[in-house]
Amino acid sequence: MLDFFTIFSKGGLVLWCFQGVSDSCTGPVNALIRSVLLQERGGNNSFTHEALTLKYKLDNQFELVFVVGFQKILTLTYVDKLIDDVHRLFRDKYRTEIQQHSALSLLNGTFDFQNDFLRLLREAEESSKIRAPTTMKKFEDSDKAKKPVRSMIETRGEKPKEKAKNSKKKGAKKEGSDGPLATSKAVPAEKSGLPAGPENGVELSKEELIRRKREEFIQKHGRGTEKSSKSAKSDAPKEKGKKAPRVWELGGCANKEVLDYSAPTANGTPEAALSEDINLIRGTGPRGQLQDLDCSSSDDEGAAPNSTKPSATKGTLGGMFGMLKGLVGSKSLRREDMESVLDKMRDHLIAKNVAADIAVQLCESVANKLEGKVMGTFSTVTSTVKQALQESLVQILQPQRRVDMLRDIMDAQRRQRPYVVTFCGVNGVGKSTNLAKISFWLLENGFSVLIAACDTFRAGAVEQLRTHTRRLSALHPPENHGGRTMVQLFEKGYGKDAAGIAMEAIAFARNQGFDVVLVDTAGRMQDNAPLMTALAKLITVNTPDLVLFVGEALVGNEAVDQLVKFNRALADHSMAQTPRLIDGIVLTKFDTIDDKVGAAISMTYITSKPIVFVGTGQTYCDLRSLNAKAVVAALMKA
Amino acid sequence: MASVDSRRVGDGSGAGGTFQPYLDSLRHELQQTDPTLLSVVVAVFAVLLTLVFWKFIRSRRSSQRAVLLVGLCDSGKTLLFVRGNSLNLIDLPGHESLRLQFLERFKSSARAVVFVVDSAAFQREVKDVAEFLYQVLIDSMGLKNTPSFLIACNKQDIAMAKSAKLIQQQLEKELNTLRVTRSAAPSTLDSSSTVPVQLGKKGKEFEFSQLPLKVEFLECSAKGGRGDAGSADIQDLEKWLAKIA
Repeated sequence: MLDFFTIFSKGGLVLWCFQGVSDSCTGPVNALIRSVLLQERGGNNSFTHEALTLKYKLDNQFELVFVVGFQKILTLTYVDKLIDDVHRLFRDKYRTEIQQHSALSLLNGTFDFQNDFLRLLREAEESSKIRAPTTMKKFEDSDKAKKPVRSMIETRGEKPKEKAKNSKKKGAKKEGSDGPLATSKAVPAEKSGLPAGPENGVELSKEELIRRKREEFIQKHGRGTEKSSKSAKSDAPKEKGKKAPRVWELGGCANKEVLDYSAPTANGTPEAALSEDINLIRGTGPRGQLQDLDCSSSDDEGAAPNSTKPSATKGTLGGMFGMLKGLVGSKSLRREDMESVLDKMRDHLIAKNVAADIAVQLCESVANKLEGKVMGTFSTVTSTVKQALQESLVQILQPQRRVDMLRDIMDAQRRQRPYVVTFCGVNGVGKSTNLAKISFWLLENGFSVLIAACDTFRAGAVEQLRTHTRRLSALHPPENHGGRTMVQLFEKGYGKDAAGIAMEAIAFARNQGFDVVLVDTAGRMQDNAPLMTALAKLITVNTPDLVLFVGEALVGNEAVDQLVKFNRALADHSMAQTPRLIDGIVLTKFDTIDDKVGAAISMTYITSKPIVFVGTGQTYCDLRSLNAKAVVAALMKA
Repeated sequence: MASVDSRRVGDGSGAGGTFQPYLDSLRHELQQTDPTLLSVVVAVFAVLLTLVFWKFIRSRRSSQRAVLLVGLCDSGKTLLFVRGNSLNLIDLPGHESLRLQFLERFKSSARAVVFVVDSAAFQREVKDVAEFLYQVLIDSMGLKNTPSFLIACNKQDIAMAKSAKLIQQQLEKELNTLRVTRSAAPSTLDSSSTVPVQLGKKGKEFEFSQLPLKVEFLECSAKGGRGDAGSADIQDLEKWLAKIA
């Protein structure tokens, strides 16, 4: 039932492969490597590619990857356990060959794993068959049939209690039926903690049964909320004596004691508490002076050097001790060791304006990559994790082929058609300003530019572009370029259809021989469906060569939402097989952030497209290209 | 201490015979000076010595004996690495996000660079190949000891493969335009970075012979004529490697 199972080293050498079907497995595996492992999305361990689901496991100690592929429509429950078993067996069996970490040993070793693998596969398939879902219990087998009818008679005063009992029983029964369905996946600890009541078969007395069920119910619902446990505790002794009406914590009640959340323990000195609060509010120390900021030193050993020399000596000394430690025994990283460091890193990234869920995913991926890895002799956990995180950040910032606009414009020139660039983004990010900067740069390089004013909504948009055109024209008058107008504005006023104006602009440029057309669109919020449709229509109809999303560096978690929704809108409204999505990002207002450069990471992670330009001001010269190392250095700086 | 040093330096050229009373006087001086100061100086000297040795050993270990295999994804680097028998081959990843990082790490210890090109898919990938080659050339030219370059046109066993001569011409044309566009790109964020190096001569069309490095082209096929089982057709490559080593 498996399509394939393959084991390969991280360097790309396939050590062993099992192919259940005749299709080659290289395509899906390459896609897995390219989209997941190299883009740091290795947080969860499954990936879908066309009709196959691929599950993978990394062995960071020996630098191996185990991948299994099966049809998406099947839900095979034994796959995770199979991967683990195969991993363990393979590692133990070929430990000597793979330990040496050199490619020659990998090549020379023969990995005759077929029989073992088939055996494991057979075992896994059989074990999954055993745990097939059981048939439903008949009524006679259930507990309700066993209970006497008298207990189920409802009387007016006891109605709420009865309801509670029934719901608790339902909850407990669900627990019971979940038991046999437990798959090889780990059942969450909370559920397994509760005893399976009805399965016990012990004849409990009625009151004990009721009390136990009530406690289970309280336990289940009381875990999340603190006040429910308090009221539950106050309820339980009350219930023992008399049959008071049940208090539903989540349903709200008019009971004054339950609603009183003041601290029950401090019963004597409310004034003392008040004075303490005033001190805190005033924020002064005992002597009325402002307390200093205490900068607690972070607990990364040797990772904040002031100058290179002391760190070098410290490194050498640490290195020598590390060498001694290395002689004693090498340490492999476990997830618990990395937990605290990763938490700190995650908070650091979030503090640097990386979107929260991206920081989480990144740290997950780094943890996955480092788990089980044997640390070098001269490194601590913190330094290893930091190094890995730094590498993955640099990796993320250089996603694909660099967008070389000048090169592509030359290509378009040769084909005698204009190169069309569209700028899109939300309101106020700097589309028009950066469009002017880019036209200036293109003019400096000798290309003629037509600016298409497709922002027909915002008051003053056309005038703004006209002013820019006038200025640029003054800087590059036609006399300097052999009588040719280097920059011109194409506008049709306000209120017209943007897609139509863009089409006319491109036709005009082709007739007049302009090299580049820069299309300025109106800013729009990503949630505004009609405007997103209009933008998608503009892009689909005019098929620009480059779609640039303009985003400001000040944006935080919003960046994720903006980019996802823009891309989705473009994909949904396109008729083509491969829809035109955002091709590149322009990151603006970079001079307003000091080193909180996390927006760059968020945007490139979401789209996997490169940052083409960075805007660092409002004059024409404030246009830069991204330097990945500098950005990552600013990001990792404490 | 300073007085002792200067005297030592001043009379260091004295003959051996004068050494003995000199040593006595030195010992006398040392005994007179403050023992803690002496120990501190000795300790600092020992640490400096260790550092010097450390750097020496480090640089020795990563001496320039490595041959890097670079190229785009799926150009055949790993297969060449497997089939090539000489040691010191380093196979670098070709994916865009990883290539520059690994190049940074290994370029200082490179004696030679083998740039592997997929000859069959070359027509489609000309721009990507040229861009990566440009990057590698720029980086190599910035090094102290420029490594020798070999551009291996791989996958010659496929019928559609282009010849080495054709690939050379196309790359020269592409690099000609690329060097103009790359140097015209906006400067990077920290504009204190180095000015981009100009490849070749400014006025004339770009040719590989204009570079300060030695660049050669040759054809090879890592898979060999008879598929996987056949012996790889890499004699030329091995000869070149033997020449370099």
